[in-house]
Amino acid sequence: METTAPVPKLLLQLISSAFQRCRLSEDLCRLSVLLDQSTNNDPPITCISIADTGIGCNLEEFQILRCPREFNGAKIWDGLLSVKTTCFTDDEVYYYHINLDEYIANKRLKRQPSQAKNGAKFSGTEVSLTVFGSMDVLVAPIIGFFQKVFPSVLHNVTMDLMVKQGDSPGNQTQYVFAVNADKTPCFTASNLERLKSGLEDYVLRHGNCLDTMCDYCFSDREHLKAGSGTLCQEDKHKRVGGTMEVVIVISDLLETTQHCSRSCDGKTEVLYFDNFSPSPVPHLALSALKKIDWKNYGLILANVNDQDGHVFLEWENFPSYVQIQISLHWYHNQYPARQKNGPGISFLKKGMKNALDNLKAKHEGFLLSSHARKICSYVPDLARSIAGLIFSSTDLDFQGDCLSVLGFQTQKVERDTVEDYIQRKIVTVIGMNERKPQKDQEAAPFLFFDGESETSFFEDEEVEGEYYSSSLE
Amino acid sequence: MEGKFPISETTNLLQRIKDFTRSIVEDLAEGRSPKISINRFRNYCINPEADCLCSSDTPKGQEILTLERKPQTYRIDMLLRVLLIVQQLLQENRHASKRDIYYMHPSAFKAQSIVDRAIGDICILFQCSRYNLNVVSVGNGLVMGWLKFREAGRKFDCLNSLNTAYPVPVLVEEVEDIVSLAEYILVVEKETVFQRLANDMFCKTNRCIVITGRGYPDVSTRRFLRLLMEKLHLPVHCLVDCDPYGFEILATYRFGSMQMAYDIESLRAPDMKWLGAFPSDSEIYSVPKQCLLPLTEEDKKRTEALLLRCYLKREMPRWRLELETMLKRGVKFEIEALSVHSLSFLSEVYIPSKIRREVSSP
Repeated sequence: METTAPVPKLLLQLISSAFQRCRLSEDLCRLSVLLDQSTNNDPPITCISIADTGIGCNLEEFQILRCPREFNGAKIWDGLLSVKTTCFTDDEVYYYHINLDEYIANKRLKRQPSQAKNGAKFSGTEVSLTVFGSMDVLVAPIIGFFQKVFPSVLHNVTMDLMVKQGDSPGNQTQYVFAVNADKTPCFTASNLERLKSGLEDYVLRHGNCLDTMCDYCFSDREHLKAGSGTLCQEDKHKRVGGTMEVVIVISDLLETTQHCSRSCDGKTEVLYFDNFSPSPVPHLALSALKKIDWKNYGLILANVNDQDGHVFLEWENFPSYVQIQISLHWYHNQYPARQKNGPGISFLKKGMKNALDNLKAKHEGFLLSSHARKICSYVPDLARSIAGLIFSSTDLDFQGDCLSVLGFQTQKVERDTVEDYIQRKIVTVIGMNERKPQKDQEAAPFLFFDGESETSFFEDEEVEGEYYSSSLE
Repeated sequence: MEGKFPISETTNLLQRIKDFTRSIVEDLAEGRSPKISINRFRNYCINPEADCLCSSDTPKGQEILTLERKPQTYRIDMLLRVLLIVQQLLQENRHASKRDIYYMHPSAFKAQSIVDRAIGDICILFQCSRYNLNVVSVGNGLVMGWLKFREAGRKFDCLNSLNTAYPVPVLVEEVEDIVSLAEYILVVEKETVFQRLANDMFCKTNRCIVITGRGYPDVSTRRFLRLLMEKLHLPVHCLVDCDPYGFEILATYRFGSMQMAYDIESLRAPDMKWLGAFPSDSEIYSVPKQCLLPLTEEDKKRTEALLLRCYLKREMPRWRLELETMLKRGVKFEIEALSVHSLSFLSEVYIPSKIRREVSSP
């Protein structure tokens, strides 16, 4: 996702700012990007327009932008941004030229004649620039960016990208990323809810490569198991406070998934959002991911595949029918922030742990530690014995009583059904035990009256001095 | 005869099993982790202070089995498996041996000791003896002498043939109509000695009952001995090899085993006397040196461990002195070594003289 070429990088920064404006408007917004390449010039010239109906821009956003005019010895753009912007309460649309080559702040920005709004009430911003060279290198990063962001963190923005090569309609392509009001949270949804719902959509659409849920791999949205965690960092005198939100989605894929060319290969993609924009996974986040005690959640991290911030986690002995996706979002509590800073390793780890624990708590039997899984290996046997004690009893009142305690209304219920239910209940208890504070777990097994050694007589294979006792008694 | 925890009616035990099952079901239904509390018993400790509570038959601690640890979960799993079998045995009024139970799920139980422990846990949990569960031992012991009785309607008339070995009854709880003209009971460690006495027509000339557990005594043999002691009120003498293994067997008859400490009262023979062989017997009865074997390192370790047992210090300091003498001398010998001078030495000289001494001693 990270692009090193200056123009695509600048474009993504400008789109990201547009997203922020849309987000802050808390209303349905549109973000349109136009790439218009003239066919008459050599090298070709591409006019770019990024227009949004967000809150109107704060010019401070442009003060930190940098983009050289030349790259690898070739001229890539003229260094000038044209910005038209207005807030809802403004009477005019303000017009500025911003010269990104200029390092002196008050010379960088030149105000141009404003345009009267004639009583119309609207807000928005259009940023225009002209770049030299083919627009081909620009399309893929923008689409990738839209796929990542849509609708992961923003649900109120419909995005479209128009790619034009000349005026002929046959040379125009439009990509639309529209909000589906039925399936997305309302505007009042929290950022975390949006992140969660966005990640679920992302998973169901194979990384937003599809317009709708993949029917080969998923039966419905309800089968996704999601956990989330939030962690807040207060402002401190030198540090700008922020919020870390983490969402983890686990999906049981259908058997038909083998027919799907896009289905996952057991790897876990990590999406990272920095202030509501897709971002490469920072190194600190990578370190945090590596340091998480995955074994506590029954996972063995085999490898972290980092391709310029595009990160995949690879697991050992991972079932092929399960898919895990992780989304991390860090944003400052105020926008625009006076200064940008990211979360630290322990903060990231804590956020991840919160989300993992939340998923574990909500979905019994998932993410159990290897220790709990070992205990779970006895569950079928335990359930069979308990069901056996109920069903083999000749006391029908007792049978009925037990079944009623388990929530079965009729004695005609099948033994297998009861056994399955008991199994699930035992797994629930094992999962619950795992979440209990360690202190409780240590105290439970032995309660002595006389404070003697905890060694169990029965656990000793051979009681000292009793040579024959074990088998002959 | 009843165990320490008398439960006479099968229905009572079945009701307890149902209550137990229901409590587990209730815990699971309400999302609680079941906790199974198992009392812990011991019949001795190695506490040098000797003011321990081992002589009482109260629990010495408690284990709470939960689903939080793998070994405990396995133990609960095995307990429930065996309990299911026990419930069926009780409902159908059938009996099974521990071995039968093991072979019902050999791959799950992995070893006989696992079944044994599960049975022990069930006995403690329901405060009953093993026989209450309809779990019986495969009889290993032999009996002969001045005795007749019935077991589940079957006649055992040892009086008819005094020197013929009869198997110790398996269903000891169903033994009735015990009649005896014996003056004492002689328990011998080994079958070879038992057969020697049978060949020598020992019971023809001595009014006694002879019992052997053929090595380490099983539950049936110990319970049968205890039953005879209670019904006949006869003195009991025990003859074992003069080595730590023999002493261990003597101690098991007298004090019970640690493994079944929860049911010690129905299994031990509290007034049993140690007839021999004592370390000093090798000199008194001129056992040739070649019959005296040096104690191995293992023997010494075993003997030292035996010396630490609190019940010896508290109740049998003389036995302890004999053990110390054995350790000091560094040699051991088998009872058969006493027969080196004459094949019938045991039955004609050694045992009668020892019995006379026991009878005449205060």
